[in-house]
Amino acid sequence: MTNLFSDPERALLDAILAELIPANPDRRIPNASEAETADYLANQALANAGFQEQIRAFLSRAQSLAGEVNTDFVRQLETELPEEFSAVLTETYKGYYSRPDIRAKVGVGAHPIHPDGYPVARETPEFMDQLTAPVRARGPIYRDPTGPGGLNNGK
Amino acid sequence: MANEPVDVLIVGAGASGAAIAWSLLETRMRILCLEQGDHLADKDFPSRREDYELARYGEFSCDPNVRNLKQDYPINSKDSCITPVNWNGVGGSTINFLGHWPRLRPSDFRTRSLDGVGEDWPVDYHTLAPFYDMNDAVTGVSGLGGNPAYPDYTPALPPIPIGKLGQTLAKGCNELGWHWWPSDVSILSQDHDGRQKCVNAGTCDLGCAAGAKGGTNFTYWPMLENAGVELRTNSRVREILIDEDTGFATGVLYHGADGQLHEQKAELVIVACNGVGTPRLLLNSKSKLFPDGLANRSGMVGKNLMFHPLTGVSGVFDEPMKGHEGPMACSILSQEFYESDPARGFARGYGLHSGRSTTPMTYALGGYGIDNPIPWGAEHREIMDTVYPYLAGFTVVAEDLPEEHNCVTLDPELTDSDGIPAPKITYKLGDNTRAMLKHGEARAAEILMAAGAKRVLTKGTDDVWWRAGWHQMGTCRMGNDPETSVVNGWGRSHDVKNLFIVDGSIFATAGAVNPTSTIQALALYVGDSIKTNIATLFD
Ligand SMILES: Cc1cc2nc3c(=O)[nH]c(=O)nc-3n(C[C@H](O)[C@H](O)[C@H](O)COP(=O)(O)OP(=O)(O)OC[C@H]3O[C@@H](n4cnc5c(N)ncnc54)[C@H](O)[C@@H]3O)c2cc1C
Ligand code: SF4
Repeated sequence: MTNLFSDPERALLDAILAELIPANPDRRIPNASEAETADYLANQALANAGFQEQIRAFLSRAQSLAGEVNTDFVRQLETELPEEFSAVLTETYKGYYSRPDIRAKVGVGAHPIHPDGYPVARETPEFMDQLTAPVRARGPIYRDPTGPGGLNNGK
Repeated sequence: MANEPVDVLIVGAGASGAAIAWSLLETRMRILCLEQGDHLADKDFPSRREDYELARYGEFSCDPNVRNLKQDYPINSKDSCITPVNWNGVGGSTINFLGHWPRLRPSDFRTRSLDGVGEDWPVDYHTLAPFYDMNDAVTGVSGLGGNPAYPDYTPALPPIPIGKLGQTLAKGCNELGWHWWPSDVSILSQDHDGRQKCVNAGTCDLGCAAGAKGGTNFTYWPMLENAGVELRTNSRVREILIDEDTGFATGVLYHGADGQLHEQKAELVIVACNGVGTPRLLLNSKSKLFPDGLANRSGMVGKNLMFHPLTGVSGVFDEPMKGHEGPMACSILSQEFYESDPARGFARGYGLHSGRSTTPMTYALGGYGIDNPIPWGAEHREIMDTVYPYLAGFTVVAEDLPEEHNCVTLDPELTDSDGIPAPKITYKLGDNTRAMLKHGEARAAEILMAAGAKRVLTKGTDDVWWRAGWHQMGTCRMGNDPETSVVNGWGRSHDVKNLFIVDGSIFATAGAVNPTSTIQALALYVGDSIKTNIATLFD
């Protein structure tokens, strides 16, 4: 956990993150705040001065907005600060989906993808024969102006 | 600083540079390859990391303007609707390419005679066929023989699984009576030649850590280096030098790993820098003899830039399509609309490539080749839960026609880290291409519905994918007429008799398939022609 954000800033950011990527309680998929995406954003901001400026401007405007953080609140930020919002949204998606546990919850392997990959069964030659039969039955579908064969048999 | 002269100097260690070096091995000439990037060890491929997807947006982006690594050169694409993408290092763009491996078709070499558009090539399919076979044997190609879209040939290895996604889409094509076939891929479906088969990880753009993908870092280069070809990395060629009296190339000036400018002399110079890097280098090689750039008496260096503009259409199905399981390259390819049909209102045609779906982060950020994140909030949750896992789709890959105004020039201000002018791309989509993409979107939607999709998602705009500049062709085209082409029918410059070009810039037209199997077959053909004509090579 980094200290880039003050406690109130962090709380505000977490509330916004929960709006950006909401949870799916039925499938136990956490929202972006629960997935600690704010830590990822803080690290990005520390590594990239341009992004730090953008997220600071974004949070500063958010702090000045009245009312509870809900969809309308976030929509207002999107309208008022389109560039900063877009940068925060992009980094939020990156931070959230780079977590192996989140990947697994949306149906993709949690593991580093090499060397294990995924086991995928190969279709049998008989199956492929059957599937391609209508395509083969039509015969050639190419024009060959320089050789025999093809649609017009070389003509 | 000067180095010992060599017989053959190849600039660029990518797909084409490796292939021609291999072809020339048997001549026992001294071969040197200068490459601006470096070797990349398998252990450094991001797919071994837990957060592997992040690399796609940073140091392993396909876009050199995003990666911004020392070996990259920036590309000014402000006047283009597509930006070129690549990899600069040993293996070139075969490091991050997807290994989709279709050949051009016989009609692609005769578009002017057959359809009144583009140009006829000075070579034909049947001349190249043995070189396709030769290259496939070195590269390791998987696929199914008997494809009625081509003269007969059979890939050496059985097809990779087309998976649930491919089977579903194939059934849709069958329902409509349209062509489809499992895609040829330069990806191993079984262990082969000491290399491991594909593990279906789906991260081919992040470098294949299994060694299953036929990048030249795994295929040609290990053989070449063992055989004594010198590969000098971190060596960026600034300019090709010319003898003003004889008009022959004498070698190059390059920035070496030590940061110094070196001269390298050679009897024969072969340029293999891809369709943007090659015209850039020639245009930067100015002399009294060639004030507008080397080998540019025709004025065609940099002109006729062609990409394969593309757009995507997806269907949402009832069951998970498991699109992330398997190599990213095409699972099946429909060439039903490849040949010209005047009734369609455009010349030439397109392919429908069934891309597999991407991983969650890439999907959330808008998909591969696009930067347009999906919505946030409740809609985000809905899409990720009820759309993303159920997707299967096609990309419509259009044949671009050569148009002179689509071009690569030198940017007057932007430079790379060595101060060499960067390329500037001026490119807009032709009306023919636009009509083709529209037609393709509608046909793709028909297949998806026939395959059982509940609904079809299209972008609803005319935009093409921004990072679809994977294939860069036409900028030093081949032809018989020195007035309208840069190299002859076997890759030799019309103007400079010991200068050859072997990358996609020599394509006369683009076809509607991925180009690398043809680029390498052509490079082997050029190599063969050099060997055949060796006694009179410079006449
Ligand atoms: C993300 C991605 C996906 C792709 N997918 C496919 C696919 O599925 N199927 C397919 O057929 N094609 C695909 N391609 C395209 C394919 O990679 C290229 O067609 C192929 O690599 C081009 O070969 P080449 O030899 O012309 O250039 P490259 O392979 O790009 O090699 C050029 C080399 O030249 C070097 N170079 C350039 N300028 C200089 C200089 N001045 N001095 C020294 N060295 C220099 C570069 O560093 C580079 O290593 C893809 C490309 C990308 C980027
Ligand atoms: S999916 Fe296959 S080809 Fe692609 S990177 Fe993984 S092992 Fe290599």
